[in-house]
Amino acid sequence: MTDMILCPTRGGQDSYPNQDRAIALAKERGVELLFLYVTNVEFLGLTAAPILVDIEHELDELGEFLLTMAQERADQAGVTSSSIVKHGQFREVLVDVIDENNIRTVVMGFSARGTGIVTENYIQGLVDEIGSKTGVEFIIVDNGEILNTHNP
Amino acid sequence: MLSDKSFRPNIRRLIIVILFFLILGIPGEMFAAPAVQEEVIELVIVGDVFDSQGVAVIDAEILAITSDQQEPLAESLSQEDGSWVLTFPEIPLSDLHIEISHPHFQTQLIDLQESEIRTLNQDDIYQIEEVVLERQISAGFWVATFVFIGVLLLIAFELLHSTTAALAGVSIIFLTSYIGGAINPNLFILTYERGLSYIDWEVVFLVMGMMIIIAIVEGTGIFQWLAFQAYRVSRGRTWLLVLILMLITAVASALLDNFTTMLLMTPISLQIGLALGINPLALIIPQVLASNVGGISTLVGTPTNIIIGAYAGISFTDFLVNQTIGVVIALMVMAGFILLFYRKEYRKQSGGISSKLYQKLEENARIEDTDALWKSGIVFGLVLIGFVLGERIHLTLAVTAIAGATLLLVWLKPDVQRMIKAVDWTTLVFFMALFMIVGAIQEVGLISQAAESMSQIIGENLALGIFVIVFGVGTLSTVIANIPLTAAMLPIIRFLTASIPGAQSQVLYYALSMGAAMGGNGTLIGGEANLVTAGITEQANSPITFKEFLKVGLPVTYLTLMIGFLWLLVHF
Repeated sequence: MTDMILCPTRGGQDSYPNQDRAIALAKERGVELLFLYVTNVEFLGLTAAPILVDIEHELDELGEFLLTMAQERADQAGVTSSSIVKHGQFREVLVDVIDENNIRTVVMGFSARGTGIVTENYIQGLVDEIGSKTGVEFIIVDNGEILNTHNP
Repeated sequence: MLSDKSFRPNIRRLIIVILFFLILGIPGEMFAAPAVQEEVIELVIVGDVFDSQGVAVIDAEILAITSDQQEPLAESLSQEDGSWVLTFPEIPLSDLHIEISHPHFQTQLIDLQESEIRTLNQDDIYQIEEVVLERQISAGFWVATFVFIGVLLLIAFELLHSTTAALAGVSIIFLTSYIGGAINPNLFILTYERGLSYIDWEVVFLVMGMMIIIAIVEGTGIFQWLAFQAYRVSRGRTWLLVLILMLITAVASALLDNFTTMLLMTPISLQIGLALGINPLALIIPQVLASNVGGISTLVGTPTNIIIGAYAGISFTDFLVNQTIGVVIALMVMAGFILLFYRKEYRKQSGGISSKLYQKLEENARIEDTDALWKSGIVFGLVLIGFVLGERIHLTLAVTAIAGATLLLVWLKPDVQRMIKAVDWTTLVFFMALFMIVGAIQEVGLISQAAESMSQIIGENLALGIFVIVFGVGTLSTVIANIPLTAAMLPIIRFLTASIPGAQSQVLYYALSMGAAMGGNGTLIGGEANLVTAGITEQANSPITFKEFLKVGLPVTYLTLMIGFLWLLVHF
């Protein structure tokens, strides 16, 4: 199994710069890229209206579509990629995916226009905890630019 | 002479027969000793008790007391229609007083002079003039008021789940009534039995039946398929695509429910928008706005309409006839504004999408179960016919909805466990708890005070009444959950409907319906559909910010409120 770069993404236009950076890194290192999309329906928890349909299924399909778009970008750049859609808490899912897929590097960060939900403290906490636990390298990007690199 | 042997079985038979009749009790009177005819001498005093707005006061304590006796001679409680009856075994000879008391009203004492009583004949019914009780502000009034406001705030700021917030409110009200009331009678709000009487079971069962129907119909994938067809038909013309999507969500919201419609339309619209290379929010926000307005045209389109219809006895056809044209005009004006507002986005040229993405989109928008779609379509059609025709035979909508849901369950044989899960009990409990909280503020007089104040502002001017309701409720609904607001407004509307000349057409109820639903477009927190849509778009890194929604939602709200107001003015 070859080393892989993991790029957790939420898709959407504001994620394109970070996806492109991950694609460029994968190309530079000659490794495969794995896109990860994590669905979480906790936002439905406070609503008073009834949830009558299988919204997780709908969000899975949304995630698959967003990752298909990301993979197309990788294909165009000549990078081999795959994708995976998972449910649950991002932090826990990330650890599982790192363990299961021989991940050596994770590229993640802040999306363009600051539309993402990720904050600096959140990223730092994540890097400290997961970096020490799994030993992976974290490359933090902001709107496509590398902010810093955390090596274990 | 009969022998002993032949006599004994006869006695036995006789005893058995007597016991048999005794058990049956049919000829009980045959065996009873002849009754001594006693002359029953009764005096009956009857009356009615209302509040200052002419609403019957229920459970008022009526006591008959005399000057020389400590114990009441007779006592009774006022009924649903405010009537009460006091029965006396004999005509009292001294002065008689009737005391009428209720925890939330000032006690009234009615004196009946001895001379007046003496003129009565035995067995006469003496009718006392209608009694009007004046409200009094008790400690219970403040508790109920703070609980109601607290529940609204907890829901608005999402500090607690709506159902938890409502249940907490109900618990405080009953604990205050029973424990607090035992310590200080001023703290009494309402009894548990009285609280239960405020639950509108028609609403609960209609919502329950519709939940099953919606879960099956929307679960077929029909709306995602329609969204994909809209994309195909529009052929890259984004302005046309958004108009078709708005139409789909408006119709789906009118017939089913806007919240579920947006749950299903948002993910597929996100995919279409991103595939086209435009800001997907330019497709999605117009749909949310259309869904909030589209639901107004039918009784089952919004939860607020269900509550209004059940309370005021407005039928499915009445809503359709009296609201649809106004709603269509409002949607057309809204569409015009949307095209103007997002014109730059819609002008962006799409580079087309790859065959891979197209295939993925088509796959995600497929009909999940064709057989279920046809069957549920037929049953849903029958349910709609039942809604329209059922009112002629007084068939309530709840019965039609439950029957339709049952037919679907029998015909489609879906996973019953899943269907039972589809009935969102937390929503039903929310409704029940909410009805009791609104009942509490009605009992303590908060609603009647609000009605009095509104009546003073509006006077007898119907146009002003419609304006105040449409824009007042509309504005409040931009920040307050519209279901509790509507439930609280209903008794006020009933009072205004009775007091304003011309309002008997129930126009103010329609004004409430329009204000509550259209106001939901004002802010991101104005409606459940808005919030869930924002939650889904955030999953694709395209969050709808409060400010972004406000910029388009607020103008749309006041434009549509104006159309709604003008329509009601012209139509009624």
